[in-house]
Amino acid sequence: MKTYIDTNRRLFGIVVAIIFLFLGEAMEAQAGHMHRATRRRTAVVVSSATHQKDQAAAAAAQPAQAPAPAPAPAPAPAPAPATTNNNQPVAIGTVLSTLPGGCVANPVNNVQYYHCGVNFYRVVFQANNLVYVASDPPTQ
Amino acid sequence: MKTRRTVPILGILFPVLLLVLYSFVTSTNELKDESQKPITESNTSGEAGVEFSNLDVEAMDKLQNALDYLSNLKQFSVKVQSTLEDMDGFGHRVDYEMASKVVLKRPNKLRTEQHGGWYDQTFYYNGESITMYHSKENVYATGPAPENIDEMFHFARDTYGISAPVSDLLYTNAFELLSYEINYAVVVDMELINEVECDHLLFSRPGVDFQIWVAKDGAPLPYKYVITDTTTPELLSYTIVMRDWNIAPIVSKKEFNFKPPHGANVIEFQKLD
Repeated sequence: MKTYIDTNRRLFGIVVAIIFLFLGEAMEAQAGHMHRATRRRTAVVVSSATHQKDQAAAAAAQPAQAPAPAPAPAPAPAPAPATTNNNQPVAIGTVLSTLPGGCVANPVNNVQYYHCGVNFYRVVFQANNLVYVASDPPTQ
Repeated sequence: MKTRRTVPILGILFPVLLLVLYSFVTSTNELKDESQKPITESNTSGEAGVEFSNLDVEAMDKLQNALDYLSNLKQFSVKVQSTLEDMDGFGHRVDYEMASKVVLKRPNKLRTEQHGGWYDQTFYYNGESITMYHSKENVYATGPAPENIDEMFHFARDTYGISAPVSDLLYTNAFELLSYEINYAVVVDMELINEVECDHLLFSRPGVDFQIWVAKDGAPLPYKYVITDTTTPELLSYTIVMRDWNIAPIVSKKEFNFKPPHGANVIEFQKLD
């Protein structure tokens, strides 16, 4: 009788151990599923990066093709406002987004210039921005 | 005696039952994983390994539907509010705002009025020339231009760096251009933009992400468009919100021809280096 009880206890112990073993694996599988779900969202970035690398490698291996136009870039910020002293000459080609104080409009042959102390500025559109470019004195 | 027989049988059956249960749980998980995949997912096995391209067919269809609709409109007008994100010299993000109105008449007429800190100007394209007029300075620049709007966009951008508001969406082949090299496309959600129910779509291509909100019902007009530069850690965006679409505006050819106001002086477009 005692032997049977011992046998039963051993079998019960084995069964419990098996239960915990499978339960552990099942729980791990659930955790793994959640982990994969998280990784999938992250993997999009990773696979995109891989995709780029592969494309770059493929592009390097193949003859160059004319690239399709990219989405239009956002307009560039305008140059910094003027901090120029009108009595000091600035380098020709210096670009300002706003004129320093004390400038006088000086159109020559219908072309707009500004006379600012010892400097002259030509008005131009630089991309979408109106800017003032230091220039030589305009000729009449 | 009965107990002696029952216990060993249970000891054998229990693990078998557990095995069956375990197999069921794991197979269910795999089914769930499958259901979470995008609508289309191409897995191409190559020497470099497995390659994924996550292009949601619904997102691509909605993008094409919107852009094809716009390209088929003979003329339209729309008001645009643009926000340019930038970094100041001290590491702080600063946003710049600009309000515009776009009037387009295909195949070769465009006028945009832009008002903002940097911009207070009107852009004219009449199929032969482009002109930019700055009202505060009363100056304008003008020059020859290609004969259709698509080529004009390329020319103005490549030659002078000039970009019209929301020009990405105005090309007649906008879908072809925007879908080039796309490697990610999803429908994010349904959201309201200026009280219009829109499908929120997200796309990605190397170096740039872009999002577009397209009216869910009626004409598939875009109401918001965001371009994000993914090549910099700041991930700065250029955001455009559109409103007051008019797909049948009364426009005359005169609106696209610039007539210099009294006293206006000529300036130049500075060419890109």
